Amino acid sequence: MQLKKPISGPLAAAACSLLGALPSAPVVAQEAGDWDIDTSLLYYGESDGRVTDVSLDVGVRRALDEDRAFNFNLTVDSLTGATPNGAVPSNTLQTFTGASGNKSYTIQPGEQALDPTFLDTRVALSAGWQQPIGEFTRWNVGFSSSNEYDYLHLGVNTRFERDFNLNNTTDYVGLAYAQDDIEPVGGAPIGLSPMLAERDDGDDDDGDGGNFRGGGDQSKDVFDGLIGVTQLLGRRDLIEVSYTYGQSDGYLTDPYKILSVVDPVTGVPVAGPVGGTPYLYLWEHRPDSRTKQTGFVEWRHAFDRDSLALSARYMTDDWGVDSQTVETRYRWNINEHSYLEPHLRWYTQSAADFYRTVLFDGDQLPEYASADQRLADFDAYTVGAKYGRRTDYGEFSLRVEYYRQEGDPSPGSAVGDLAGFELLPPLTAYIVQFGYKFRL
Amino acid sequence: MGSPCEVLCETDDPRLAKRIGNFARGEARRVDLKYSRYQPGSVVNAIHASHGKRYRVDDETARLLDFGAALWRLSERAFDLTSGVLRYAWSFDQGKVRSDISRIPELLKRIGWDRVGWQPADIILPEGMEIDFGGIGKEYAVDRVADWVGSQTKCPVLINFGGDLRCVGAPPASGAWQVGIESIENFGKATKRIELTSGALATSGDARRHIEIDGKRYGHIFDARTGWPVANAPRSITVAAPTCSQAGSYSTLAMLQGEGAEAFLDAEDARYWCLR
Repeated sequence: MQLKKPISGPLAAAACSLLGALPSAPVVAQEAGDWDIDTSLLYYGESDGRVTDVSLDVGVRRALDEDRAFNFNLTVDSLTGATPNGAVPSNTLQTFTGASGNKSYTIQPGEQALDPTFLDTRVALSAGWQQPIGEFTRWNVGFSSSNEYDYLHLGVNTRFERDFNLNNTTDYVGLAYAQDDIEPVGGAPIGLSPMLAERDDGDDDDGDGGNFRGGGDQSKDVFDGLIGVTQLLGRRDLIEVSYTYGQSDGYLTDPYKILSVVDPVTGVPVAGPVGGTPYLYLWEHRPDSRTKQTGFVEWRHAFDRDSLALSARYMTDDWGVDSQTVETRYRWNINEHSYLEPHLRWYTQSAADFYRTVLFDGDQLPEYASADQRLADFDAYTVGAKYGRRTDYGEFSLRVEYYRQEGDPSPGSAVGDLAGFELLPPLTAYIVQFGYKFRL
Repeated sequence: MGSPCEVLCETDDPRLAKRIGNFARGEARRVDLKYSRYQPGSVVNAIHASHGKRYRVDDETARLLDFGAALWRLSERAFDLTSGVLRYAWSFDQGKVRSDISRIPELLKRIGWDRVGWQPADIILPEGMEIDFGGIGKEYAVDRVADWVGSQTKCPVLINFGGDLRCVGAPPASGAWQVGIESIENFGKATKRIELTSGALATSGDARRHIEIDGKRYGHIFDARTGWPVANAPRSITVAAPTCSQAGSYSTLAMLQGEGAEAFLDAEDARYWCLR
């Protein structure tokens, strides 16, 4: 059966008689897009010509229905600049050998030793699937990978979430496993062996540095377990508590970081060995296992118009690093279309047991040692804000943040000449991120 | 109304929200009591009790009867306010279908708007026939509440009576009300999401109630001319229109087209979503 002519006119007339009048506004209804696309371009720049990162991120989420969704994420980082190699400043010129052994760089007297050969492109891909199991349980499964010229990460993760107590409580348990392959340029160095002098290019036909440093390729396994609970406290408050246990095994050393060996009285670098650099530098060496435990608590509160999130994190590991983070975000909904979200973060950590600013000539060589400033005792804070604006075409956002990290510039190991240098110079960085998200 | 009714209201004035909620509840109850055959004092029962004699209805009932008559004409007699007696041949109880096909010929004699004497505002309903406002009452109540809300406030309100809904304004934050269309495989879960900025949405079809006879799939909407459910109709039809009464009429009439539901809605240039 097919009706002979359109009925819209007579139907509208009938509805008008029924209701007395019809609304003047036309109907506006459209099917919401299934694809959520979230893109951002981030600039991260450290002061004093150190690391600059330009990062492009594209996230895609496709909801199949209310509970099932697929997500995919691609990040491309372009890193340039210089990074501290671990050596301390000195009153003389210092010459270091690049990792591949066929390029060296020189640091001026009194300057922080930065390795200028740091240049990298990182591509990271991840994907995930969310699926309900029954009415109150969800299951997530995902994989992650990233690739740099000397690094390959492959990981899998899974997470169960369960709602109960009339959906006022959600608990979750997650597991993640990753296997990372590290293929350092020139091979991984033998821990605490001296940095060798630049060698003749002719030694290395293929130009990749081969296994110049003797340790070849390395790998590590990382396992993380997570349990947590989210609890609604009335209409306006929500609290989340979680605990993470992380276990890393394998090669955890930074293959490009060294330590200076100095005279214990004068602080002057000691001469290098035959076949080594003019001064003596030893490749760092870390334990091949690390156990981390992290406790996290976050409180979120909804005001009439705005909202506030406040979180604290405590991490402790068997390397002797303890860290605390306190972070807060306040979302100020300026009007219907825009918001401003100030952000404050404070961080402090204690040094790893094997962290050394320098090694002293004549002392017994420790089993493990690293001068990596990321393992030092330091405090850091981040101050920033994000502004977001919704339009008919999607949401635009701009985030600007300032980061500052300060350690003890003159630790106890600052003997002799070293007392005149900033051994742990403060680090400042700016972050500018432009985001655009939309639905298709 | 036999189904959950809700009103969503975006305001920071609790008294206004309460006033809107009270009106909506009152109106839903009033329309239900007045037009349900299950309510002893309803207009429907009064008409049935007139035993074929002339009965004068009030103005509101007259308008509803006129609207039903218009749908009967527009559907070429497939929609009929008097088709409710088919429940004696077909019943869908708790997911189970009982049918007594042998009763259909007899029941068809008790169906037909052309057998009803209707001269507004007097109705003569022949003995044995019944009037059922089930197909239009809920949508009418939604429109009544929406019209009242529009006269009271500028704040965005969504009136949803059992899935037939109409909005007055849209929430500024997202620009639209997010309305899910229930999945036909996964009850209680949305399969599509509609962003409603202005107007109404009505859905016809109930995936939980259907029958199969000789491999043919039948829904729960009856063709008043045959006494049979419509074959090969979509399992769910959602239509957007300026008012809920129009949207509901479109979704019901489209369902009555069976196989041709989409073609009908396309020809009407309607905005719709069919699930098959």
